[in-house]
Amino acid sequence: MCFKNLPVEFDAQGKAFLREGVSDPYGKSTSIPRGVPTQLTAEKVAELVKRNGHIQNVDFDPVTRVAGALAFHTVADVKERKVLEARSIATLFRGYEVIMVGRDPRDAIYITSRACGVCGGVHSTCSAEAIEMAIGCTPPPLGIIIRNLALALEFLYDHPLHLHLLAGPDYSAAILEGTNPSLLAKAHTTEAAHADSHGYRTVGDLMTDLNPLTGRLYLEALHMTRVAREAYVLICGKYPHPQTIVPGGMSSTITLTVMNEMYLRLAQFFDYSKKIAGIWDDITDFFYTYDARYKKVGARRANMIDTGIFDHPDAYDATYENAAAWGDKRWATPGAIVDGKLLTTDLHTINIGLEEFVEHSYYEEWAGNGQRQHFPTDPTGKPLSPYHPWNKITKPRPQGQSWKEKYTWDTAPRWDRQGMEAGAYARLWNTAVAKKHPESPFLEATGNSIRIRLPKGTLPETEIEWHVPDVWNAFERNRARAYCVGYTAMVAMDNWLLAMKRLGMGDTRTSTPFEIPKKGEQRGVGFWGAGRGYLTHHLTLDRGAVSNYQILTPSTWNASPTDHWGQPGPYEEAVLNTPLLEETDDPKAFRGIDILRAIRSFDPCMPCTTHIQSEAGMIVREVNTCACALDE
Amino acid sequence: MSPTRVLVGGIGYRNLTDHSAGVLVVDMLAGRAWPEHVNVEELSYGPVAVAQRLDDETGKGRFGRLIAVSSVARGGGRVPGTITAYAWDGVLPSPEDVQAAVAEAVTGVIAMDNTLIVCRQFGALPPEAVVVEIEPLWQDSGEELSAPIAAIFDEICALVTDLATDETAVRRLPIAPLGGRIAARSGAS
Repeated sequence: MCFKNLPVEFDAQGKAFLREGVSDPYGKSTSIPRGVPTQLTAEKVAELVKRNGHIQNVDFDPVTRVAGALAFHTVADVKERKVLEARSIATLFRGYEVIMVGRDPRDAIYITSRACGVCGGVHSTCSAEAIEMAIGCTPPPLGIIIRNLALALEFLYDHPLHLHLLAGPDYSAAILEGTNPSLLAKAHTTEAAHADSHGYRTVGDLMTDLNPLTGRLYLEALHMTRVAREAYVLICGKYPHPQTIVPGGMSSTITLTVMNEMYLRLAQFFDYSKKIAGIWDDITDFFYTYDARYKKVGARRANMIDTGIFDHPDAYDATYENAAAWGDKRWATPGAIVDGKLLTTDLHTINIGLEEFVEHSYYEEWAGNGQRQHFPTDPTGKPLSPYHPWNKITKPRPQGQSWKEKYTWDTAPRWDRQGMEAGAYARLWNTAVAKKHPESPFLEATGNSIRIRLPKGTLPETEIEWHVPDVWNAFERNRARAYCVGYTAMVAMDNWLLAMKRLGMGDTRTSTPFEIPKKGEQRGVGFWGAGRGYLTHHLTLDRGAVSNYQILTPSTWNASPTDHWGQPGPYEEAVLNTPLLEETDDPKAFRGIDILRAIRSFDPCMPCTTHIQSEAGMIVREVNTCACALDE
Repeated sequence: MSPTRVLVGGIGYRNLTDHSAGVLVVDMLAGRAWPEHVNVEELSYGPVAVAQRLDDETGKGRFGRLIAVSSVARGGGRVPGTITAYAWDGVLPSPEDVQAAVAEAVTGVIAMDNTLIVCRQFGALPPEAVVVEIEPLWQDSGEELSAPIAAIFDEICALVTDLATDETAVRRLPIAPLGGRIAARSGAS
């Protein structure tokens, strides 16, 4: 049974329906998530703090420079070295949903791109897919292929950036000599298993080159972002906000010259992919061996959701009706994973399980008080919750912060009422387990792993293999993201070869003409993916203008607050499970590195600075950032 | 001896009223005739990419002077419409703040300070970095400039032209940390 909490069942033909006899199927007291973790109540935590001197607030306080911010409140038991309360706080209202209402839908491609300074292209593409579904327009094969290439290149910018510029410094010698000197000393005498691929004899050498600003791996990542960016602008015109993504395909002119110039850059990722996978294998394995408690840092249930990405040109027809079929043909398979088990790859099932809640968010409720539900079903007649994005109305209501009441601008998205996380790793996990990806000379899913055959560069042709992990934590998120570099590069290679084949056939058409209907109501959804995973844009048109637009980003899932039932959001859950392994008993020297590793492993997507309050004052640390978590 | 290569660069977001002033100045200047050693470019495509663009110039092609023009809201009593020009002393903030600037830069933040910091950190900044800051009044979306900024627009263009073509104009500038902390060259108060 796919749904455990929502009263949704399936008939013999696989069509979903609401179980009979349930009077209020989407009522919050009707469908209660079972077997999920819950946070201590704010009252209980306050009582503990009052009674125990060693329990203290460890606050991550926002300093917002530009667009958005993540703050984090924790209560930690420094004696027991554990976290008792964790609250994720998005401190900015971004308002794309409000901005979009009443506009020509084509504006959405350019406006929603601004949700992020890294992954503008994914928002543009997701928006284009939502529009083409609403208006009935299918891109030509080359348009679909070029879109895949563009977004793969965007991810090849994103993943190294996160791994070595944002998360990487947490594992660098420069940081570790302050937080974990004994561990660093051990690293300097530990031989690196993958020296052949990355060139570092010891793990300590590797950690030294992860040092921020001066480390060779840090500087190399900066260079690789350029390589990816250059390839990207060959087809998208500019980065990070492309100008060539349109409903019905791409407006780029694709020639052999463009393809060759792209290949020269893509090929630079062959060796880099081997190297980065080896680096994160060695870091992960070293930490586990040094202290097995590191397996608990950032640990949470392996609950993940992903829409899949990279459409097959023979399958994608932009219709909702066929979404389950074309979704299954994607290079990255869609999926919902609960407790490590892949429950479905069906985009319809993923879609109808979506809900967003605002009990602890600065919004007014739009459902649940007898209001009329605009869409009781999806376009194929499957049931939708009143809390589903197609039914959601964004009603911002700023107010004071209270852990008991409201404390964030993020909403609490849930699937089957469960807290799910999004990430590049979900893409890898679904694809590995489902074994549905298109035939490829470079990629092979085995059911519990994915083999990635990386062509010869300076290093010989190499097969790397990512395995579904036994534990799910901060290290495994980073390791999977590192393997995603090679995986993404090979998706790009598959599509590069397909594009060359189309050009060889004389097929240079990259877009399909379209018209925006001026009458009636239409709806569409873009099921796409960001570098950080899951992305949907749910769109409703009324007489040619946008009447509702809802964006659900990966960090909306990950930075989610605790929900109506006390179930923490993914950052919160991961931090609650994190042991404090820093080598200090001095609160003044405490830097909260394990908490930061837990948060950063999700690749948080909001411009923010995180402060940690200790007795010595505020410790200022950057949590990384682009701005798409906050686009409610 | 060939003259020092000069790059005039406008930094900022477009369609943000006064915050676009630096970009608009460069738009205006780019249409004028310049000596061969002067380039006029928009540098609003991300600090890391700007550093890489500067680094692409090798040997005699490297720029000896950058004149960066941007609207920067410093506040602190600086009146909207104030032009502050100085030669940056090149002193970087703390390594943590430099890291923060890089993190902002690679995730989409474009600003005068992080552009200069990132370029300096990675050794791409020309030996002379001249900063021309404009204190904005409006910070909304739109193409128009506020009255105080519109009133000094020609003056900014003239100042930047002087700095790009007249060595003595540059030598007259104070040397200052980022943000200036110096008397305004002119104001619209």
